[in-house]
Amino acid sequence: MAVAEKKLSKKLEEIHERIKAEVPWEPLGPTPMPEIPDLRQWDMRLLKTYAPFYAPFCDLCCFCTYGKCDLTEGRRGACGIDIATQQARFVLLACLMGCSAHSAHAGHILEFLIEKHGPDKKIDLGGSINIEAPNIRTVVGLKPETLGDLQIALEYVFKEIAHLLDSCHTGQEGSALDYESKALHAGMLDHVGMEVADIAQIVGFNYPTCVADTPLVDMGWGAIDKSKPVILVSGHNPATSTVLIDYLREHNLEDQVEVCGLCCTALETTRYSDKAKIVGPLSRALFFMRAGIADVIMTDEQCIRTDTPQEAAKVGSALIASLDKAMYGLEDATEMDTDEIVRRMVDNKEQFAILDSPKAAEVAVRVAMKIAPQRKKEWLTEEEAIELAKKCTNCGMCEQVCPNLFNIGGGITEVAKGNFDLIRQQFLQCIGCGKCEEECPNNVSIFKIMQTAASMETWKCRAGRGPIMDTEIRNVGAPLTLGTIPGVIALVGCSNYPNIEDIADMVDEFARRKYIVVLTGCAAMVAGMKKDKDGLTVYEKYPPDFDGGGVVNIGSCVANAHISGAAIKIANIFAALPLRGNYEVMADYVLNRVGACGVAWGAYSQKAASIGTGFNRLGVPVVLGPHSSKYRRLFLSRKEEDDWKVMDARKREIVDTVEPAPEHLAYVCETKEKAMPMMAKLCIRRNDTPQGRAIKLNHYISLYRKYIGAGLPEDIHLFVRRDADIPLVYKKEVRAHLQEIGWQPREPIGLPTLIGTYPTKVPVDAVIH
Amino acid sequence: MSAVIPRHRVNVLTGIKSARLIEDPVEYANLIKKAKRPLLVVGPLLLASTADGKILMEYALDIAKACNIPICATAQTKGRIVELGVQPDCVYDTVEIVNALKDPDWQGVKKEGNHDLVMFFGIRSDLGNQGLSTLKHFAPHLKTMTLCKHYFPHANYSLPNFKKDTKWQEFLENLIANLKKGD
Repeated sequence: MAVAEKKLSKKLEEIHERIKAEVPWEPLGPTPMPEIPDLRQWDMRLLKTYAPFYAPFCDLCCFCTYGKCDLTEGRRGACGIDIATQQARFVLLACLMGCSAHSAHAGHILEFLIEKHGPDKKIDLGGSINIEAPNIRTVVGLKPETLGDLQIALEYVFKEIAHLLDSCHTGQEGSALDYESKALHAGMLDHVGMEVADIAQIVGFNYPTCVADTPLVDMGWGAIDKSKPVILVSGHNPATSTVLIDYLREHNLEDQVEVCGLCCTALETTRYSDKAKIVGPLSRALFFMRAGIADVIMTDEQCIRTDTPQEAAKVGSALIASLDKAMYGLEDATEMDTDEIVRRMVDNKEQFAILDSPKAAEVAVRVAMKIAPQRKKEWLTEEEAIELAKKCTNCGMCEQVCPNLFNIGGGITEVAKGNFDLIRQQFLQCIGCGKCEEECPNNVSIFKIMQTAASMETWKCRAGRGPIMDTEIRNVGAPLTLGTIPGVIALVGCSNYPNIEDIADMVDEFARRKYIVVLTGCAAMVAGMKKDKDGLTVYEKYPPDFDGGGVVNIGSCVANAHISGAAIKIANIFAALPLRGNYEVMADYVLNRVGACGVAWGAYSQKAASIGTGFNRLGVPVVLGPHSSKYRRLFLSRKEEDDWKVMDARKREIVDTVEPAPEHLAYVCETKEKAMPMMAKLCIRRNDTPQGRAIKLNHYISLYRKYIGAGLPEDIHLFVRRDADIPLVYKKEVRAHLQEIGWQPREPIGLPTLIGTYPTKVPVDAVIH
Repeated sequence: MSAVIPRHRVNVLTGIKSARLIEDPVEYANLIKKAKRPLLVVGPLLLASTADGKILMEYALDIAKACNIPICATAQTKGRIVELGVQPDCVYDTVEIVNALKDPDWQGVKKEGNHDLVMFFGIRSDLGNQGLSTLKHFAPHLKTMTLCKHYFPHANYSLPNFKKDTKWQEFLENLIANLKKGD
């Protein structure tokens, strides 16, 4: 026992040293640099109410040489694992891939910027941001002041990733709940890694900060001047694309070469240069590459497609792989003479990996300028499309493989008849995987035909702005926690949704209702890809402020850390709760008092899995689109039966609130129509004042009526505590319904918290502010 | 073999335990009639209409009416069902009803005990298949059946992939006729 205590104290001593515990900017909480067991009790409390719901993809486990093992009908694998635990292991692996992608991105960027600026480069995010790194401060316990300090946070993340990955090895962890606790841990680490990446980028690349009104940038292939050499940057890591912009500026070529981007690199590049264009989300990557508009394609990392070299070669686009995560089997030309690379790319059409950013940038520009004049960039005419479509026999094979379940053959057959209406509608549903064309027995050029459906219209996207300002947090803290701003809707993630226009519709619906709407990643782009009757996108229609009715593009995937960071800042700045090494208190505050709901409507990636799981540990529920049932796991409650007890910290009493607020932590909706009222419902919190609750219920009921049907939501009685909670406009109807079912009023909770309802080192006093 | 090639092949090669494919409406009707506490879960694909203008939801309502089967309305289907003159017995979304069904102690829609046969109709096949997988693995106390025009390998009983909608509609009409016949 004594030995164990000594070890523990030595470990703590080391942590204190690494996080500079002696610097007294805030008292140190109980869990600086938490390891796997340190927040496990919090996780278990969450999982008690929001139990994992598993939907296995497969009956088998094929991880090791004992297998394949049949896990059906209660069978265990040769290592002893059961089907639920195997699903949880998969989820943890997915979260680790996501967390690793962001953290390795952060590591690469940090290394690149430290080489450029040195480790002592100060972190200064502007005069309106004092809490520069809420996730790092909360989780790590460190207040980072320099780029070098960010490395300390990242080293901690890397160490934890190794321990978590270790636990996935065959024959170890035997509890699905413990795997879920580990997945929640990975998700939390992901937010630290993302925060490191984006702070480093803002500091190192001089991205705008403390500015809400960032430029509106052009979006869509129609915005790209095809008569100029076109360089397409694709992926997530701006180390090369920013250097590319520098090269163009230094050589006065910025107006002569078009730079456009796909996926998050597009968002990053437009934070650096408002002359760069956004092509669109990942779902438009293959379509755009096959259109052949790009003279040079530069890939970096993450969502870039594994077949980019083959697709580039098909249409005569040159290709440079600029990061080690995806080298595609290409010759590494990092050390090769620049003239020689350019010559071989132009004359021999060779593709190269070039891992030195300045060299890659120079090669891209020189190659683009040489090959562009010889390349044809023609958009298919309707007449040509009709001819191509005549090859289609409507055999149905394309429909069989379409992950978004639509009858593409029907659309192509209509094109053959000269009718383009259906294909235009289908293009909005297309997630851009290319499976239809691959499967087509008649080799119909489906993507080419789709050019006639793809509007040449251009849209506007507001450039990502990075962290929410502390001043904005001060302004919205009270109305958000009291409920008079009905909630924060965070639309994040990828483009694997049922329809590309769903995101803009969701933004419009909630901004109009004076929710705060924040966006990141592909969701932030597609929000701008629909215009209203006046020709305005949501970025032109709504103000860019973090306030009720504002629509805020935070930035790329890694900017998601600023959304979790904003939730933490509400607890820290508005409620004055110390955050340093104090994760449980922050998460408990967010779960019970901050009405925020994440929406990853098109989540496809492992990164989206870890981002969402990180939000869940922090107490933010996430609504997912129908495809996300394939993640295998949700966190669902059963509202009539689950444990809705909280501690009323003021009275020191455990109270059964009966109210499922929030009802779920990770939830899949089949349709946009169902998601709308669910998003409003998931913003309800136990802390709402009667006025705030009435506002939230007003939106819940009104969205239910608009999208589901007449009458009242079936569970409305669970959210009405007293008569004052009932929205005025529905007073009569709700009262009559409550009377009919024998509803009884309930006492309001002074200060709701889960602390004190489960074993934890955190005292109840810690949540009182 | 070709008859059981699933609609979305890469998603549904499930390994060990796949649905029994049934093409005979009499056999399907008998399975439904044999159930003591069946439940019909309807989804938003039934809001569409057939080529001759019939709302697909009407098939679901006819099936429910023929055997007095309670209806669970998912997604936004409740409004349309009410417009068609029927009050659904409960409103849950797909993952919520599946979550309740996997609990053997759940008392079911009619509070008479959990259901022994759950029919899914009109839920998009990716989500539907995942929900059926949950029940396949975690709800051995009940059987599942699908009525959609595609094969659902995670169900206990599924229809084949119908190449033509008219053939599927014919099956549904025959099924309803058989259900109406009684025992």
